[in-house]
Amino acid sequence: MIAYLVKRLGLAALVVVAVLLALFSLLHMIPGNPAILALGTRASPEAIAEYSARMRLDEPVWVQFAYFIGNALQGDLGADVFSNRPVTAVIAERIGFSLALICAGMGWAVLLGIPLGCLAAVRPGSWLDRVTGILSVGTIAVPSFLVSIWALLLFSIQLRWLPAIGAGEPGDLPDQLSHLVLPAFAIGLGWVGYLARMVRASMLEVLGEPYIRSARAFGLTPRRVVLGYALRVAILPTITLIGMGFGGLISSAVFAEIIFARPGVGKLIFDAVSDRNFPLVQGGVLVATGFYILVVLLSDLVIAWLDPRVRSSL
Amino acid sequence: MAENLLTVDGLSLDFRTGRGRVRALRDVSFPVRRGRILGIVGESGSGKSTVLWSILGLLARNAEVTAGRIDFEGRDLLTLGGADLRAVRGEKISVVFQDPMTSQIPVLPYARQMEDILYRRPLSRAAKRDAAVDLLRRVGIPDPDSRIDAYPHQFSGGMRQRAAIAMSMLTGPNLLLADEPTTALDVTTEAQIVALMRDLQTEFETTIVVVSHDLGLIAELCDDVVVMYAGEVVETGEVRDIFHHARHPYTRALLECDPARIAEVSRRLPVIRGDLPDLTRPLQGCIFAPRCQRAMPGCATIPPPVVPRGTGAAKCHLLDGPLADPDWPPPAGTATVPRQEAAAPPARPDGGTLLELRDVNVRFRTMGPIRARLRGVADPHVDAVLDAGLTIRAGETLALVGESGSGKTTLGRAILNLQPVDGGSVRFDGAEIANAPERRFKPLRRDMAMMFQDPVGSLSPRKSVRALITEPLLIHGVAGRDLDAEAERLADMVRLPRGFLSRYPHELSGGQARRVGVARALALNPRLIVADEPTAGLDVSVQGEILNLMSDLQAEHGLSYLFITHNLPVVRHVADRIAIMYLGRIVEAGPAAEIFAAPAHPYTAALVGGVPHPDPDRRRPPGSAIGGEVPSLLRRPRGCDFAARCPHAREACREAKPPHARIAPGHTHACLFPLRGANDTTRIR
Amino acid sequence: MPPGPADGPGRESAGRERRDKLRRFLSDWQGVTGLALVVLFFASAILAPWLAPYDPNAMDIPARMSGPSLAHLAGTDQLGRDTFSRVLHGGRVALYIASIGVSVSLVLGLVLGMVAGFGPRWLDSLLLLVFDAVRSFPAIILALATVALTGPSLGVVLAIVIVTTIPSYARVARTATMALRHTEFILAERSLGASTPRILLHHVMPNVIGPLLILAAMEVPVVVSIEAGLSFLGIGVLPPRSSWGTILNEGYLVIRDAPWMVVAGGIPLILTTLGFTFLGEALRDIFDPRMGRER
Repeated sequence: MIAYLVKRLGLAALVVVAVLLALFSLLHMIPGNPAILALGTRASPEAIAEYSARMRLDEPVWVQFAYFIGNALQGDLGADVFSNRPVTAVIAERIGFSLALICAGMGWAVLLGIPLGCLAAVRPGSWLDRVTGILSVGTIAVPSFLVSIWALLLFSIQLRWLPAIGAGEPGDLPDQLSHLVLPAFAIGLGWVGYLARMVRASMLEVLGEPYIRSARAFGLTPRRVVLGYALRVAILPTITLIGMGFGGLISSAVFAEIIFARPGVGKLIFDAVSDRNFPLVQGGVLVATGFYILVVLLSDLVIAWLDPRVRSSL
Repeated sequence: MAENLLTVDGLSLDFRTGRGRVRALRDVSFPVRRGRILGIVGESGSGKSTVLWSILGLLARNAEVTAGRIDFEGRDLLTLGGADLRAVRGEKISVVFQDPMTSQIPVLPYARQMEDILYRRPLSRAAKRDAAVDLLRRVGIPDPDSRIDAYPHQFSGGMRQRAAIAMSMLTGPNLLLADEPTTALDVTTEAQIVALMRDLQTEFETTIVVVSHDLGLIAELCDDVVVMYAGEVVETGEVRDIFHHARHPYTRALLECDPARIAEVSRRLPVIRGDLPDLTRPLQGCIFAPRCQRAMPGCATIPPPVVPRGTGAAKCHLLDGPLADPDWPPPAGTATVPRQEAAAPPARPDGGTLLELRDVNVRFRTMGPIRARLRGVADPHVDAVLDAGLTIRAGETLALVGESGSGKTTLGRAILNLQPVDGGSVRFDGAEIANAPERRFKPLRRDMAMMFQDPVGSLSPRKSVRALITEPLLIHGVAGRDLDAEAERLADMVRLPRGFLSRYPHELSGGQARRVGVARALALNPRLIVADEPTAGLDVSVQGEILNLMSDLQAEHGLSYLFITHNLPVVRHVADRIAIMYLGRIVEAGPAAEIFAAPAHPYTAALVGGVPHPDPDRRRPPGSAIGGEVPSLLRRPRGCDFAARCPHAREACREAKPPHARIAPGHTHACLFPLRGANDTTRIR
Repeated sequence: MPPGPADGPGRESAGRERRDKLRRFLSDWQGVTGLALVVLFFASAILAPWLAPYDPNAMDIPARMSGPSLAHLAGTDQLGRDTFSRVLHGGRVALYIASIGVSVSLVLGLVLGMVAGFGPRWLDSLLLLVFDAVRSFPAIILALATVALTGPSLGVVLAIVIVTTIPSYARVARTATMALRHTEFILAERSLGASTPRILLHHVMPNVIGPLLILAAMEVPVVVSIEAGLSFLGIGVLPPRSSWGTILNEGYLVIRDAPWMVVAGGIPLILTTLGFTFLGEALRDIFDPRMGRER
């Protein structure tokens, strides 16, 4: 078990370092003075000198990279080019909006998608199965940013049911929640279909296994056979897929934040790209990467916890 | 109390498939007598398992019962649904499945699985657990109090099947169904399971229905027998009646084809010619008529009568009606299936040594170097093959016999350089070939060929038969030959109709695919063929054809075979010499007749005695099966690997590995206290 | 339990099997709908210059921001350009990206996947790590980071599409290759002396390519969505060139006054993604029933 954890954490660290390296080298692969590239041509000579000193631009590239990593590991991701506030502080005040959105989006998708998939698998060919099948193909095929735009058009602008932009007044929970509904709906919709399909396919496979026939042969009730036995096994690949697909969810969230002008990390990165505010871009990308790695790691651990075969092979 | 616990009456069943309706069962009727063990025997495609699933109402979705009833305790099981059916399943009728590896849910411990089976009982969880522990102890699971919390993957195959039996007996069912309960198990484990089922049947007075293709198992275990062929019951009767006075030509033929029932050693085994009928076409007359030696013109058109005889009935024109033959059935022992003589007299081994193995070791890595260091494992390897020595002379057949995990397949692959060798020498035609680089080994591949276990799975699925059997010629650049002519020549050689050349592997039956495998092996005129379980997955009536073909080719081309198998009855007929493997070591090797008549190693004796004999009068006495299981390679004992299970083991056996010793010319063993000729044992090397 | 494999004759010939598959495809309404939509996508993109009623870049300031009418089926934008014509021409960008992106990814993914599946273990572990990291990494974050440094262009979109979709093909190819690697027929080929290139080319690839082609059909929506998404954010195809993403971008800015633009830009995107998904699913059901829904 410990060997497994060490291995997984080592891999995670490797991915983080790879992303850092990519971010770092991208900045250095572009011809020209990195300081001007990073700060923009309008930056004052003092700012450029200060940036060059802080990033040790006069030292060899690998030393620069070492400092970059060292600083990042100490939580120093540099400072916002315009406000000069630490990047970590800027991200800290935005990350809550992103986390709330991602949790809400994934939450409703899981709560609806998994039961739908189960019901469809138990009665293959029924009307519920057909409807679920068509709906899931449909929702998976439609890009989430289009769902966001259309949801904005329909529910906010035409029907005026829900607020269009922002994240709501700070401290006003109902207002914040009403601002959460549309973006969460938009990023979760595809996942409802995706999960329903995954669970259905994996349930159908498991329901055909000899051990499910054994459970039936021993006279267990259909409820116990499906929920206690089949789902117990069928959920495992689904969890892996949730972990693997989290990157896509983060992408959707970035779009949703931009479309609904929600001040999360995704919007932050996007604005920083437009402003060529490189420290913010780097910090935001690093946080997003770290978050996604955490989720993948978590899904692996949940699998190991649920599946005795994985547990004992560790 | 009625004599019959369950009655299957006129059961007919179709499967709706893409090819049309397969009429899988037609008018199947038989009683299951209370307190007895009934065996349903048949080859693949006979519908025997489908009957079993009908009883429990667990048929596939595309199955449709078109007629008949299954009476159990005054009710028709086929009409029961929902809660009524669940009240029967598990409580009154329970089941043991063929493959304990796949029929137990991997993510729940046995305790939970067994408590779930008792969900209808008003017992506390502790009481259910106690009941489960008691039964696990009864079926011979050691230390059941703690092992009950184990998951299925933590048990060996034999232990899993024991647990499966415990699960099925937990509710004290009136009827126990067993679907090929020993097919997935090794010979020595099979004997233990058979003994256990007999014991339990006596103790709980349970009625048992066993479905199997294995005549030995049926003879050993059953009181009554139902013989099925292509979806019909062709004969029923008590076990002695069936095995000694079979009345249906199919039953006769099936019994005559079983190598275990052929007393004299013969290179030519009888076979039932032809193929199973296509059950999607309209059927009339006798279903067996196209393959029957005694078929008469009327057989193909007039449905045969069911004629009660002896303790049962048989469905054949020969017994009654206008086509009846008063001389049928002929006395037991008279062959009804013709046995041709070999095309050429077998070329007895006279050649020199072709292949010689000495002290061959094959090691498998069990974990990566990092994990091994973390766990403090000094040597993360196991010895899959340990100091193995073999000699094959030109023109002879050496059988390498062992249970699963004995390393026999690994050794076979090591000979063909498909598996690196970690020590010892492999000499072919005098030249050292162990671990030769592929460039140097390639020319040798023309002299040595291999046949693989899975007849269909060892053929590249997207290639036609023609491409498959000419591929060896292409690989070795045997230029200037007309490939089409070659393909036809090879097809003729293995008696594969030329029309099959344009087919693809999935369109072949097991026997046909096996012929393609033989043709591929023969394409380059090899001198040695390593045949890994060449009869695995083939029915008794088909395996004879392959064995006959192999022996004809041997006589014709002077081939040598290394015949890797677990099937001892077959080995007796085909092998000149036998080597027995146990846990990676060759424990005994010698002439076939000697090994069978007077084995030196106790494991050989257990193996020879472990095969159930297809004769109800030759059942083994209770307690004759050797206990225990093959140890894991990870926990190889320091002394003799067999010591823990050996009835003759002494202290010295646990000290060190017994060296290979010679007991007679060409007969070696690795036992400190051999069963025979201990006086004239001389150490070799 | 289905009946065991019957011996002997009475088996379908390859031709009958092929006809059977065609019949099954034609009886699947999703597959037929998908095929129709895919044909529509190709036809409208290729024939856009002839089908479009206006020049997509012709401005008509007096008629700007006019709603759908007979003259302008999908209305006009801020500059009075005909949205319908722009949508038709936008399909050409989608087709261009989809055809190049999918074919390059497919080939590279196939090669990398077979190498990972058949090569030494350390190489497999390394490649798998890279595949997994890239596949599950948020594509948009990668795109934003890249564009931040290079600036937006069609080439960047193509590069991002290829990099992010290679792992899907590679993983499928790797899994299929791995499954084959230890089968008896590969071992049988080795025992005959077949070289590794021969085994990969003649015996592995024919068994791997089928699922990969089906996957390619299912990946078209992904590719088209990435292009549209990036163009929507203004970091993909640049105006005045019309793509479905730029139409959505321009429409988003005037969503309150000219809602027809985001509708018109979205519909072809949905039809295309649905079409390829339906088609891919139908093909998969027919050729690889184990992978998807059962009938």
